[in-house]
Amino acid sequence: MDDAKILPRKGGTHIDSTMKNTLRTADKPSPTPAQPLTAEARPVQQQQRRNPPIAGELTAIAQAQQGDGASFEILYNMHKRRVYSLCLRMLGNVAEAEDLTQEAFLQLHRKIGTFRGDSAFSTWLHRMAVNVVLMHLRKKGLPLVSLEETLEPAQDDGPRKDFGTRDLTLSGSIDRVTLERAVEELPPGYRLVFVLHDVEGYEHNEIAAMLQCSIGNSKSQLHKARMRLRSLLRQKANGKGAA
Amino acid sequence: MTSNRSRTSIECEEFQRQLPEFFDSGQDLLVHRHVQSCQNCSSLVRDLEYIAAQAKLLLPIHDPSPAVWENIHNALTRQQKDDDKSS
Ligand SMILES: [Zn+2]
Repeated sequence: MDDAKILPRKGGTHIDSTMKNTLRTADKPSPTPAQPLTAEARPVQQQQRRNPPIAGELTAIAQAQQGDGASFEILYNMHKRRVYSLCLRMLGNVAEAEDLTQEAFLQLHRKIGTFRGDSAFSTWLHRMAVNVVLMHLRKKGLPLVSLEETLEPAQDDGPRKDFGTRDLTLSGSIDRVTLERAVEELPPGYRLVFVLHDVEGYEHNEIAAMLQCSIGNSKSQLHKARMRLRSLLRQKANGKGAA
Repeated sequence: MTSNRSRTSIECEEFQRQLPEFFDSGQDLLVHRHVQSCQNCSSLVRDLEYIAAQAKLLLPIHDPSPAVWENIHNALTRQQKDDDKSS
């Protein structure tokens, strides 16, 4: 894939305007004619399932927009877990995740007046948090997309005895804690795309805009992330038997 | 045996090369002709679908430490004082 070498731009202040553009592009998902409707519909449903309306949220938003500090604290308590978990999964580091959770909510405080309610508040806030994390990673000069590496085709490992003969697939063998640990072990670029797509439910066109890479690149990174997870999880499944 | 095996592996390679697009298209891969005839790729597809499905179930389980709110609160209070001074 020749789109592989596209790396995020680095730098100081011009990143800010880039990020705003990214936000704007991503808020209005551009049509991707290549994708059939079913692929589009799935993540939207996921977003709705994951971001159900919270009782009292609308009142708290309205009052926080008027500058009411107590209502802002209510909003913080409603959303801190989601925002922090998102930061932590993207960053893989508690201290950074706490710093950026703080930064995301300070940004929320500055921008809450611009929330118009045309998307769910949580969707709007999470996008803000994602952008705070991405901007932080760019400032650190980290590539948001892993360098393209060749993927060896998965070979038939049937004859190998290490995975056990009773179970050729992972199905049913992993719990959430195991998956969570395996996600932490992913290389940062793979982890970003995996968390954004598979955990958070963003679509490839949105991720491509956020990471400033091509849609094809986003798809291939996701595939590699899942392939890497598969091998990590298989190792863990084997280790469990041996330990 | 050897020729059979290498033919299979070329088919596998070709199928797996297209997997990222196949997955994104939302089609049912388990009915794909190659998957039906290849245990290797069938187990791969099952695993990758399983991983994606499990990822959707990863809920936010982490809470930030109370220090995070304290820092936000302090920053906002400081900002409020500065605003009051300048106005
Ligand atoms: Zn195959």
